[in-house]
Amino acid sequence: MPKTILLNPGFRNAVLSLAVKTIKLRYKNSFLGLFWSMLNPLFFLSIIVVVFKHVNHIENFALYALSGLIFWNFISASILQVLTSFIDNAPILKSINLHPLSFPLSAMLAAIFNLLLSLIPFFIIMFFLGYKIDYSFLAFFPYLIITAVFVLGLGMFFGTINVYFRDIQLLWTTIIPAFFYFTPIAYTPELVPEAQRFLLKLNPFYYFIESFHDIFFRSKFPSWENLGISALLASISIVLGYAAFNKYRKGFISNI
Amino acid sequence: MMENTTPMIRLTDVDICFYVQENGFISMKEFFLNPGKYKLLQKSFVLKNINLQINKGECFALLGKNGSGKSTLLRALSGIITPDKGKIELFGAVAPLLGLGVGLEPELTGLENINLSCALMGMTKAEIRKTLPEIIEFSELGEAVNWQVKRYSTGMMSRLSFSIAIVMQPEILLIDEVLSVGDLGFQHKCLKKVMEIKEKGATIIFVSHNFDEVSNMCTRAALVNHGTVEFIGTVEEVGERYHKLFEN
Repeated sequence: MPKTILLNPGFRNAVLSLAVKTIKLRYKNSFLGLFWSMLNPLFFLSIIVVVFKHVNHIENFALYALSGLIFWNFISASILQVLTSFIDNAPILKSINLHPLSFPLSAMLAAIFNLLLSLIPFFIIMFFLGYKIDYSFLAFFPYLIITAVFVLGLGMFFGTINVYFRDIQLLWTTIIPAFFYFTPIAYTPELVPEAQRFLLKLNPFYYFIESFHDIFFRSKFPSWENLGISALLASISIVLGYAAFNKYRKGFISNI
Repeated sequence: MMENTTPMIRLTDVDICFYVQENGFISMKEFFLNPGKYKLLQKSFVLKNINLQINKGECFALLGKNGSGKSTLLRALSGIITPDKGKIELFGAVAPLLGLGVGLEPELTGLENINLSCALMGMTKAEIRKTLPEIIEFSELGEAVNWQVKRYSTGMMSRLSFSIAIVMQPEILLIDEVLSVGDLGFQHKCLKKVMEIKEKGATIIFVSHNFDEVSNMCTRAALVNHGTVEFIGTVEEVGERYHKLFEN
């Protein structure tokens, strides 16, 4: 069923148009446009560097922190955008015959586009901080797709529940800072004592962020272990997300 | 006019339910603590046992109080809701006009909005390009089509969305109380357009609280009350029963 709808040209055009709308709205009325999507990570970067520099005894901590932050911001923000996409599009959902799968898909697409756009200036900063581009960069695009699938599934799962319990989106915004400190972004995994390091690996975001660290900080391909676990997490996430969506979407119109 | 009896829409034993989550967070806890014992969503009937046939070229009205299920019925016909039981058969392309202005984005220009709305209705890029001049012409917006929609007056906004909705040359047109938009001139034009579509042999289903409008346009009607079709007959017969609903 999802396969046939994904091949429908009308549906694909609708998804694309919704994504384009989101992007246009984001940049239309703001003078500094792109600058705003960079300001937040840069602001955080300066805090992290100032506060944590003396704890982290690694060379080039600023690049480490920045490469983690860019993708942390992407993951956490896009999950929220996918999560709220059903509610954000309530009027369309109620009166236009458009498959509701188009809302999470277009939200994800817009988030990816936004990330790619912000990567252009970020690259300049990263080079400035000492990033050495290498073949490992080729791993970035496949990895971005795996990450997007993971985010989409997670967002659809919680987004479906969120239609019935609006607390989910509040809960998510409350929990996400905790995950930020649980994920090695402001510190390196080596800083955690060996005996407790397994705890970090209970966090699904660990594998994604560490892989982006590999690509952009260590200039090497992500480990097979991290790649395998990320791909597994993405598959579980999209299956669960789609199953929840498909089971409970019949009640969307009556609850939105 | 000769009545054509080729069916365009046929509903057989249609039930439509709403799935409502009523008890908030407490029930969510119960739901997860007692797997299988509770249902997350409660089912309640909005439409029950609907049987209805509407023929080609007919202009059919749905009358009923607020909350009787008329809009839900139109949503089901347009494919937004799938029935829980029974069968809905449609023998032609449907254009729903449910709530004008839905999907219009105030920050975007009229032109950008036309592209967006058409895409949301399932049109491909090529189809949109083909119909674009026609939409702009019908909307009479002229230069204003390049303005941001937030600068539009309410009437201009309705004109824009009506023009978008009507352009598809539908065989079945569903209209939910949206004709009373724009100034008198445009209202007239909309009605004329609807009649024109009807002349071409399209079938129209019309929901309105304005009985005069209904009796002018439609020949047959159904009275929807408490989620069932209580009566089907000529507009006059149904109108009489409709007015009786409010007598006491």
